[in-house]
Amino acid sequence: MADFSYQGGIVIPNPYPVKKVGLVQAPLPDKVVLPLQQRIGEQAQPCVKVGERVLTGQVIAVTDDAFCVPIHASISGTVVAIDQQKVPHKSGLKSSCIIIESDGKDEWIEHQGCGVDFLNCKPSTMVDYIQQSGIVGLGGAGFPTHTKLRRAKECHTLIVNGTECEPGVMCDDALMQNYPKQIIHGIEILLHICGAKRAIIAVEDDKKEAYKTLLECNNNEKISIQKIPYKYTSGAEKLLIKALLGIEIPSGGYAPEVGVVCQNVATVKAIFDAVIDNRPLVSRLVTVTGSAIKEPMNYEVRLGASFEHIVSLSQYKQDTYTVRMGGMMMGIDVDDLSAPICKITNAIFVNQPDKQPVVKECIRCSNCNTVCPVGLLPQQLYWFAKSENIKKAEQYHLSDCIECACCNYVCPSHIPLADYFAFAKALKRQQNTDEFKTNRARDRFEYREYRLERNKKERAEMMAEKKRALKEKMAKDKAQKAKIDAAIKRVGQAKKDKSDAG
Amino acid sequence: MLDSVVIFSFLALALGLILGYAAIRFKVKGDPLIDQIDAILPQTQCGQCNYAGCRPYATAIAKGEAQINQCPPGGQDGVDALAELLDVETLPLNEEHGETKEDHVVYIDEKLCIGCTLCIQACPVDAILGASKVMTTVIAEECTGCDLCIPVCPVDCIYVKNIEPTLNTYVPNLAEVAHG
Repeated sequence: MADFSYQGGIVIPNPYPVKKVGLVQAPLPDKVVLPLQQRIGEQAQPCVKVGERVLTGQVIAVTDDAFCVPIHASISGTVVAIDQQKVPHKSGLKSSCIIIESDGKDEWIEHQGCGVDFLNCKPSTMVDYIQQSGIVGLGGAGFPTHTKLRRAKECHTLIVNGTECEPGVMCDDALMQNYPKQIIHGIEILLHICGAKRAIIAVEDDKKEAYKTLLECNNNEKISIQKIPYKYTSGAEKLLIKALLGIEIPSGGYAPEVGVVCQNVATVKAIFDAVIDNRPLVSRLVTVTGSAIKEPMNYEVRLGASFEHIVSLSQYKQDTYTVRMGGMMMGIDVDDLSAPICKITNAIFVNQPDKQPVVKECIRCSNCNTVCPVGLLPQQLYWFAKSENIKKAEQYHLSDCIECACCNYVCPSHIPLADYFAFAKALKRQQNTDEFKTNRARDRFEYREYRLERNKKERAEMMAEKKRALKEKMAKDKAQKAKIDAAIKRVGQAKKDKSDAG
Repeated sequence: MLDSVVIFSFLALALGLILGYAAIRFKVKGDPLIDQIDAILPQTQCGQCNYAGCRPYATAIAKGEAQINQCPPGGQDGVDALAELLDVETLPLNEEHGETKEDHVVYIDEKLCIGCTLCIQACPVDAILGASKVMTTVIAEECTGCDLCIPVCPVDCIYVKNIEPTLNTYVPNLAEVAHG
């Protein structure tokens, strides 16, 4: 049996602990900005016009990309613009968004879910419904839930991820304490969909309150709640499966291939809301914490509300602060507070401005190798990423890096290793696209050359054929003419003979 | 004496046969060097090198008829890569053939297009779709940015559009990464 742990990872105590994990409903925002680009796949296409009135939960953008979900209005009001807006992304680039101004009424559109007798629904119909409800993984990665569920063939175990993805984040903790019934029902729905025999809720051992609440609510024998040791990166899907079941998913493999489906607790709750309450995903829980915040708190907030809207609900220790989306490890700095809260915004860290440590040379201490939870050699990968040697980096399994930044954390030279790996991955993706494009251009050029050559040949053949036909016709004409001439002559002769005789 | 002559003649004959067979059996079709050069060239098919496309230019380089620095879309990196492949000294990019432009595609202003089809005939990768006297358009995904269609357009309705990075294609700047 597994020992509920794995190699690597680090224990980072919560830097901003609270006595009691609280949950506050954030007020309705005056305006929401909803990005059309999702984590993967094509941009969604807006299906509303500027000036149109929309209701909460109404589909405002659709997509036919299998990896994407439709986008729903998170408040009722008027679409005021569809244009380029700042979104929380490490590139700082703008992206297409739909902007809705609230009418303050929060009127909902009617949706028809499966209802309480979901057991009569076909699993495939329910997966489609989950996609239509805009549900993606709410742990922080935003992987589309329906894709995971469709891939899950012959699933034996459902793992519900109740581990916080990063130290300091407590939105899942708050969710488990406040919505335990919804989570248990959500798991029952998922068990029906993927046909698993059992479900395990993994809760880190520092979340005693959440563990107790879930235990009290659970009366389904298929569902068990398992405590696992508190350690950073336990929230990563493959590592959680390793910790709970002792199954190691090979490089490049996926959890469904070993018969396991892993879903975050927040995703499970969203599935409950969609299936039973007929409510698409329009809000999420966000932790607001950090060194500049007096009291860290969780907020249930509508998607698309600005960072400003929710950050302003907290009390600060001081006026100057920096804002970071996600955790202290994998988060990204957000300099524009008008950027919207998205489905992947699990936490906002508001920190006192800190001095950046000076980056020094790598001293090959190999601390990073020890902590890497996926067993890579960050120290080696670093050189290859730095020299843009992607082929070599690939041999050292660059693509298996989960960018957890454990290596950054332990590096005595403060080298931003994970950033290098993110860079190398992006470069690899670019090189692949470029290669694909040049190969296609080569093929098309060669085919065009072939086509032009073929056309020329066909034309030449056609001309030759025509010439031959004409010649034949003329020759035939000659013979015909000779025949006619002969006939005329014959007739003339006959006439002459007749007159001679007469 | 005679023995050794017989043995060696026999050996020579047998080995010769093996070599002869191997030459036929393992014959390399085409010129692998041309393929290697062609793989480095950017496949823009723009003809700025004075050849009819990337492969003709690759063939010319392989034959020693062309210099390695005649490809502006490939840029200095491309010249360096060719120099490394061919094991020769690298050269600065020859400016006579034009300068390296940013990645771009072209698009047709469909309101102005008269459907003359001249651009369709000029496009080396069949990336322009249309027919006589109807609106014509560029398949942006297939366009290599060779710009060959621009000079032939009688109404100047073809424009250049740079490819801007999106959230999906963004690559961080290495210098910025290094500073943490």
